[in-house]
This record gives sequence, structure tokens and C-alpha cells, in this order.
Amino acid sequence: MTQDIEMKEQPAPSNSVSSASPSTLHHLKEIAGLIETGVYVREVRRIVRAVRLTMALRRKLKAPVLSAFLNFALTPGSDPLQRLSSYLPSEGEHDMEVDTATSATQAHAKSPLQELEVYCYLLVLIFLIDQKKYNEAKACSSASIARLKNLNRRTVDVLASRLYFYYSLSYELTGDLAEIRGNLLALHRVATLRHDELGQETLLNLLLRNYLHYNLYDQAEKLRSKAPRFEAHSNQQFCRYLFYLGKIRTIQLEYTDAKESLLQAARKAPVAALGFRVQCNKWAIIVRLLLGEIPERTFVMQKGMEKALRPYFELTNAVRIGDLELFKSVAEKFSSTFNSDGIHSLIVRLRHNVIRTGLRNISISYSRISLADVAKKLRLDSVNPIADAESIVAKAIRDGAIDAIVDHANGWMVSKETGDIYSTNEPQMAFNSRIAFCLNMHNEAVRALRFPPNSHKEKESDDKRRERQQQEQEIAKHIAEEDDDEF
Amino acid sequence: MDPRLTEVSQLFQRFKAAYVRNDFDTCTTQLSQLKVLLTGFRSLPPLFEATPNAIQELTIARDIYEHAVVLSVKTEDQDAFERDFFQLKPYYTDAGSRLPPSPQEYPILGLNLLRLLVQNRIAEFHTELELLTPTALENPCIQHAVELEQSFMEGAYNRVLSARQTVPHETYVYFMDLLAKTVRDEIAGCSEKAYDYLSINDARQMLLFSSDQELLEYVKEEHSEWEIKNGFVYFQRAKETAPCKEIPSLQLINQTLSYARELERIV
Repeated sequence: MTQDIEMKEQPAPSNSVSSASPSTLHHLKEIAGLIETGVYVREVRRIVRAVRLTMALRRKLKAPVLSAFLNFALTPGSDPLQRLSSYLPSEGEHDMEVDTATSATQAHAKSPLQELEVYCYLLVLIFLIDQKKYNEAKACSSASIARLKNLNRRTVDVLASRLYFYYSLSYELTGDLAEIRGNLLALHRVATLRHDELGQETLLNLLLRNYLHYNLYDQAEKLRSKAPRFEAHSNQQFCRYLFYLGKIRTIQLEYTDAKESLLQAARKAPVAALGFRVQCNKWAIIVRLLLGEIPERTFVMQKGMEKALRPYFELTNAVRIGDLELFKSVAEKFSSTFNSDGIHSLIVRLRHNVIRTGLRNISISYSRISLADVAKKLRLDSVNPIADAESIVAKAIRDGAIDAIVDHANGWMVSKETGDIYSTNEPQMAFNSRIAFCLNMHNEAVRALRFPPNSHKEKESDDKRRERQQQEQEIAKHIAEEDDDEF
Repeated sequence: MDPRLTEVSQLFQRFKAAYVRNDFDTCTTQLSQLKVLLTGFRSLPPLFEATPNAIQELTIARDIYEHAVVLSVKTEDQDAFERDFFQLKPYYTDAGSRLPPSPQEYPILGLNLLRLLVQNRIAEFHTELELLTPTALENPCIQHAVELEQSFMEGAYNRVLSARQTVPHETYVYFMDLLAKTVRDEIAGCSEKAYDYLSINDARQMLLFSSDQELLEYVKEEHSEWEIKNGFVYFQRAKETAPCKEIPSLQLINQTLSYARELERIV
């Protein structure tokens, strides 16, 4: 705790140089302080908070501020400082020199924590990506990954997982994702060996993303099914995982499971992640259509997504009506959208569902209809439409889509009287599954409640805890004093 | 030239000669020898080392595996097909950028799709499909397989059968014949549910038999529950979901008890 206060006081004199945006630098230093305390008391939670605070500052990052911060956090003349400064644009160089001079006289200069070094890498990387300097970002991220390989500290894990993410992002932006696949696999292995669960989670998602980027569904599924699973640490990573899982399942025709994962991903995603939710919903709509469900209008017309989901709305409409011609024209009209969303092949699969829906409508409206009329209504354009219609109807009957009988001799289809559904067990079963769903939802909500990680230990006694905290503080103070002495 | 490469190409020449003669036994033994020799090259998958002869080695290896795949179709060995195809695949996906495209690529990819369809491995079929580029999808060999799958899913079986006449490559015939058998079983399954009865004549046509005798044998072997009398085939229809006469009390009690337990937890 003392460390924390110290840190807050310290930035005041040192920000004389970066007068342009003292507040940003000030914030950065506070975050650095947070990380240091987090490391000393071994509380990963503080580092998580530091990363979250950094994201809030993201837009305000400027080259001079960054170089000032680098000089503050890293030892002057040290290797990482030189390497990182070289990534920043040269306009900041002037400030940097001045800054080195002043901050060298600061009492703070000391051999920096490895966590702080990693954090500096992260900051520079985010800055480079935001400035669209992707090649520099690639170089910087590769350097940071090389540095990370030599670090084995649990307190680095949080920062490392963010670095992995930006590492992959910078390669994706330049279109070289395939290059780093081997590296990511190696990192995942290392993370598994070190029991770094957050790192495993992040890397698994990055790998899945990497595979899916090249449509390698087979490899993705093999990796996914064999990678160790555990309770999710980060909600964002879990959402991504669910989304990738949903995609894989969709391609492999496991629509029911796919729908569940996709809807869950969309629901769990933070409200701010609009793009992600739109993607989830696009896939979810297609999967629901493939399952033979028609998504509600409200689902397609969700707030802020109307425009993006418009093609999907029209597609749904075509499937709902069961009109093959309309379906074809919609698919053609929006083919570029569907292609860029990577679901072109799923649209092709939908054709079959359109026919089914059309057939169901016919079967409901007519008690008896000739197969020739069925073919005409479905607009089957083939050499022998009646024979086609007959076998299509036969298959629909077998799959339970319609309840009818075909009379081959007369060439017509006779729909059966729909029996009274309430005389069967069906309603009871539907009711049961709904109750089960609600109860399950409640149980999951209870399970998802968060408790502080060490709550069970702290029950032992208040005295013990106080003792422990005191010890920790003493150690922290001790280290701080040692550092001062060194200088 | 590297002596090992010369050895491989000489053996490959002999293999091709035997292949043209349709001498499949010699082919198979020589193929195994070739495969053993190929393991000596370090430029091939999975190592992909950049040796000076890499391009030549990769090209000849790809050629050998392409022949191996087609050979497995000719010897009608589906397992060998699968093995050889997986060995061939890295040459298309991972080494594709370094080699000139092979004219055999699309026919072989199409063959593989067809095989997955015949073996009813639809999930894998779609996974493979996702890997193909838009240009590949427009290739007649690939398109053939894709259209087959669609007709198959829809239930337009006669379209599947008529596709046999329009095969884009002579090696496709083997799988198309296998597919015809699968289609017959499908049609039988559908007819069972969709019709009360069919005249023997219609049933024969629908199930693609050339004589009544064959039909009768098929019914006897595969669907002994069908009844044949007075020139008609009667399908024994499965019992419909009858109106529930009895209350499934035990199940209901269990459910209600579990609701009570869950509610207790909430309150």
C-alpha cells in the first residue's frame, strides 16, 4: 500500500517535460505504480486493472508521451529502452533526449521490473497498431514474444496474454497469419506447461482464429477437441471461443449445438462489442434457418444492427415464404456480402430448407394435390419435375417434415389430418423442456456469481490476515528501500 | 542430377508403363518401393527443407501420389484412396504456391468429395468444401460433386442417377456406381414411409432393378417386413404416435419431484 501512495506522489515533478499532455503521462505512471504493487503483493487482479485502465487511455497515446514514459519506466541506456524507442517516430526524439537527462536524475531510476518492461512493449505495440504502422508492429511484437519466452512469472501472464493478442493482430492486419501458426502453437505448449490458464485460453482462441482464417475447419476442430479446457478466466476470451466453436459446428452440420454456442456468445458479449455481436447474429440467423426455424423479426431488427443484418432479413423472408425464385434472387443480390462473411456455402445449403418450407406450406393448405402442381408451386426447374417432386416429397415424409402419403398410381399427395396434438404427450414434453431451461439458467447464474479469489482462506482469522498483510508490506518497503540505496 | 532423384524417376517411368498396361499388381509393388524412396528426400512434407532440388522433388512426389490415388480407385480400394489422398493433400495446400498447378488437382479433389459422399461423411464433405477457392468451385469436376450432394439432400434421387451419364472424368464411374447403391437404399427407406403400397412394376422402376426377380431378392434380403401379394408391394408402416391413453405417471412424478427440489434451492 505504501508503495502505491509513493508512486502517486512521484509523477508530479517528473512530468515537467511532457507538458503537452501531462495527464496522460500521469495516468501511465499511475498504471505503472499499480503494476508494481501488483507484482510485490502478487495480486494478479491489480495487473488486470492496469491493463483495463490502459485501454481507456488508448486514444490519447502520442509518441512524445510514450517516449517520456519509456524513459521513466526503463533504465536509461538499457537494451529494451533503445529497442523500443527505435519503433517510435523520430519526431519524438527531441523530447526524448531532454527527458533522459531529467529522468536520469530522478530518484526513481532503478533496475526496472520485468513486468514493467513487458508493459512497455505492450504500450508501444498498441500505439503502433493504432497508428497503422503494421510492419513496425510486427517487428515489435516478434521482439516482445522473444523476450516473453525467457520469462516465467505468473504476474506476467496477464500482460503476456494481451501481447499474444496484439502479436496475432499485427500479423493478421498484414495478412501473414499463416507465418506465426508454429510460434503460437509453441507458445500454447509453453503456457500449458506453466499452467498459465489465461495464456492458454488466449492462445487457443488465436490459433482457432488463425485456422478459421484459412478455412481449416478440420485442424481447428482437432485442436479444439484436444486442448485442455477449464473454467473461463476472461469473459471476452470465452465469448470468442464460443463463436469459433459455433462456426466449426455449423460447418460440420451440428446445427443444434452451433446455435447454442452462437447465441450464448452473442448474449455474453459486452454491449460495446457491436461488431462481434453482429457477426454472431449473422451466423446464428443462418444456423437457425438451416435448422428449419424462422428467427423472429425482433431478432433480425436488433438495435444498431438493422443495416448490417438487412441481407439476412431478406434471406429469412425468402426462406419463410418458401419461394425458390425469391431465394435465388436474394442470394444473388447480396452475394458479395455473403461471400465476404464467409457463409456462401451455407447459403447453398439453405436451398434445401427453402424447398422444405414450401412443401410444408403446400401440405398445410391442400388436403390433396397432384405432384405436377407441387412441382409447379415449388418451381423445380429440371428435366423431369414430377419425378423430382415425388422423391422430394417422399424424403420430406421420411424426415418427418410433412405428414402425408403419396399415391403413386394417381400421382398425387394426400395430406393427413393433423391430429389433436393435445391428446399426446407432446405439450407435456415441451413444457418440461422449458422449465428445465429456466431452472438451468438460474443455476448457471448462481454459479457465475463472483467471489474474491481467496475468500475461503481469509475466513481463518482476521489477525492472521493482518499479520500477513503487514509482512507483505514490509517486504515491499524493504525492496523499495534497497532500490533507493542502490542509487 | 542427384542420383537418388534419377533412381526415383526411372522407377516411376517403369511404374507408369505398368500403369498404362493396367498391370495393377506390378504397380502396387512398385508404388510401395517409390514411397519408401520418397522418404529419403528432405524437401518433402513434413520437413519442407529448402534443398537445391526441392522443386523437382516436390513435383515428382506429387505426380507419384496423384497416380497412387487414381490407382487406388482402379483397384477399388477406398482405404488406400484415403491414405494416398491425405499424403497428396499437403502438395496442394502447403506447397501449392511453389509448384506449377497440376492438371490433376481438381479431378482428384472432386473424387475425394465424391468418396466422402459415398461413405456418407457429410460433415467432412463440407469441411473439405470450405477449403476450396471460388475458382475451384467453378471447375466441372468439383461442381459435379457439389450438385450431387445437393440433389442428395433434397431427395431428387433421379438427378443423382442421371448424373452418372455426365461424369467429368472416367475415374468417377467407380464411385458413381457405389453411390447408386446408397441411393437405392435411400429410396427404399423413403418409399416405406411415403407409400402405403406400390405395384411391383412401379417399385421395380423406382428401385432401379431391371427384373422383378432382382426386386424380390432385394426385398427378401434387406426388407423382409415388406409384404408382396396380388402384384403389389405393401409396406408395413410404423405405428403412428397414438393418442396418449395412459398417463406416464412414473416419469411425471420424477419430473415434479425435480421441480420441487430445484424450487427449494431457489427459495
